[in-house]
Amino acid sequence: KLGRPSELPPEPGPDYEGDEEFLRRLHHVLLEVEVLEGALQCPDSGRRFPISRGVPNMLLTEDEA
Amino acid sequence: SMAEAEAAGDAGLSPAPAPAREGAELAAVIGATVPTGFEQTAADEVQEKLGSASRISKDRGKIYFEVPARSLPQVHRLRSVDNLFVVVQEFKDYQFKENKEDALKDLEDLVKVLPWADPLQVWELNNSLKKKKTKRKKHNLQSPASREKLSDGGEEGGADQNNTNDQEDCAQTPVAVEPTDSQDAEKPQGVTSRNGVEEEEDKEQSDEKADVQASSESGTKAGDGQTGEGEAKVLRFRVTCNRAGDKHSFTSNEAARDFGGAVQEHFQWKADMTNFDVEVLLNIHNNEVVVGIALTEESLHRRNITHFGPTTLRSTLAYGMLRLCDPQPTDIIVDPMCGTGAIPIEGAAEWPYCFHIAGDNSPQAVKRAANNICSLLRKNENKDSSTALGVPLDIVQWDICNLPLRTGSVDIVVTDMPFGKRIGSKKKNWDLYPACLMEMGRICTPGTGRAVLLTQDKKCFAKALSRVGHIWRRAQTVWVNVGGLHAAVYLLRRTWERAEERRSFW
Repeated sequence: KLGRPSELPPEPGPDYEGDEEFLRRLHHVLLEVEVLEGALQCPDSGRRFPISRGVPNMLLTEDEA
Repeated sequence: SMAEAEAAGDAGLSPAPAPAREGAELAAVIGATVPTGFEQTAADEVQEKLGSASRISKDRGKIYFEVPARSLPQVHRLRSVDNLFVVVQEFKDYQFKENKEDALKDLEDLVKVLPWADPLQVWELNNSLKKKKTKRKKHNLQSPASREKLSDGGEEGGADQNNTNDQEDCAQTPVAVEPTDSQDAEKPQGVTSRNGVEEEEDKEQSDEKADVQASSESGTKAGDGQTGEGEAKVLRFRVTCNRAGDKHSFTSNEAARDFGGAVQEHFQWKADMTNFDVEVLLNIHNNEVVVGIALTEESLHRRNITHFGPTTLRSTLAYGMLRLCDPQPTDIIVDPMCGTGAIPIEGAAEWPYCFHIAGDNSPQAVKRAANNICSLLRKNENKDSSTALGVPLDIVQWDICNLPLRTGSVDIVVTDMPFGKRIGSKKKNWDLYPACLMEMGRICTPGTGRAVLLTQDKKCFAKALSRVGHIWRRAQTVWVNVGGLHAAVYLLRRTWERAEERRSFW
């Protein structure tokens, strides 16, 4: 979630490979947007990994490892 | 200027390359130094980008290829080469006289019969290319190339009359010998470096390289005499000699000194160890002798890295490793112990249709790598827009043994494994290596995935590999030299066996 509408559907549609408009937006989000401060959230556990100066810290704590 | 094309009648000399005929395009035989072990890789790159076939020399770490002089800009953009020089002449089987004085005299006599004209033209052309580039720090060149023609025929006659007696009268001041890299000079195993280029020499009697100033004088005005004439500036030069082999009767210092003396007399250039225009190279490897003129003054191999770490890998080695795994467009390439990011940065620059992910557990390493990436982004900046063009590269701080990457999702793993002596300890590696190989095996795609791993701890690596034979197969080994240490690069192929699904956190 980028905090602003990214115009992306929650899941890729069935024919996403041919959908140029979708591909453009996906490309933009994947390769042209850089998160400088924020977090990555695990979809299963909800565990948040902080992002600082563009770098996510995904080291596990002693308990988690 | 056809005169110097004649080869002397001495036995053992290969015929000189034919001089360019009127109207024929200027061509050059280029010698390139490359990381030892990666000569074939470099030859492949030359074939791919220049269309020329290369000869790999028995003197490890060197390849030779011929190109038209107008291709020089592309030659400089090769990513697998450390240094470049233009060959004046090569002797495949030079017969050295057993007696030292005779052997050295032969080298001195060689100077006036070598075909200098075309290579010097290439050197001049190369200089004009260098001037067009943005100025870098540590520029050695001071005086611009002399306008006066550098061919031997024209100057020789005049110079000789003035100088012969002066040279004889003037006492040669003792040769100034300067080990090029003082901390390495002590090592008996003769691995020395200059400008960061690492070279390996034979274990049998080999000498350190010596940059020798053939010093001419306090009183002699022979060289100075020419500066007064017209606008011609006298070129400054130095001779660098690399000698390897156990049958020579002389040292590299002596060869450089005497060869340098002859060069000075022949061209009337001024010897200068630090501010030289022309660097003459005299490479002697057993019976192979190559005389060349340097085209690069600082090694290309640090090109991408502005923030160094203690063990930053040189870019040419990073390039060689990446090429070994034959990246295909859309491949995901991961360096899970990236340090300052040398490998992924080289990867993103040269294989932009792959996606590169770099990671390290150390906050300092990650910070330095991020800075290096920013420097790269700034270089790529589009003048029209305020934002830099994206680079297919991301960096994460993570634990090599618990990578936040899905099983089987990565095509290529490429990394510089920590060396026991330089970082960490040997004991730690015994535990670390098997765990790394397992985790790298998990994230890598079965069947098509591959890994290219650099390590100095070959014993530990072999043992770790034997424990993960169900996941990794050794495909190729390249023996290399990293900072004076003998290391190996292993190309591994991922077997078809699927990894166990991750049991713990991820």
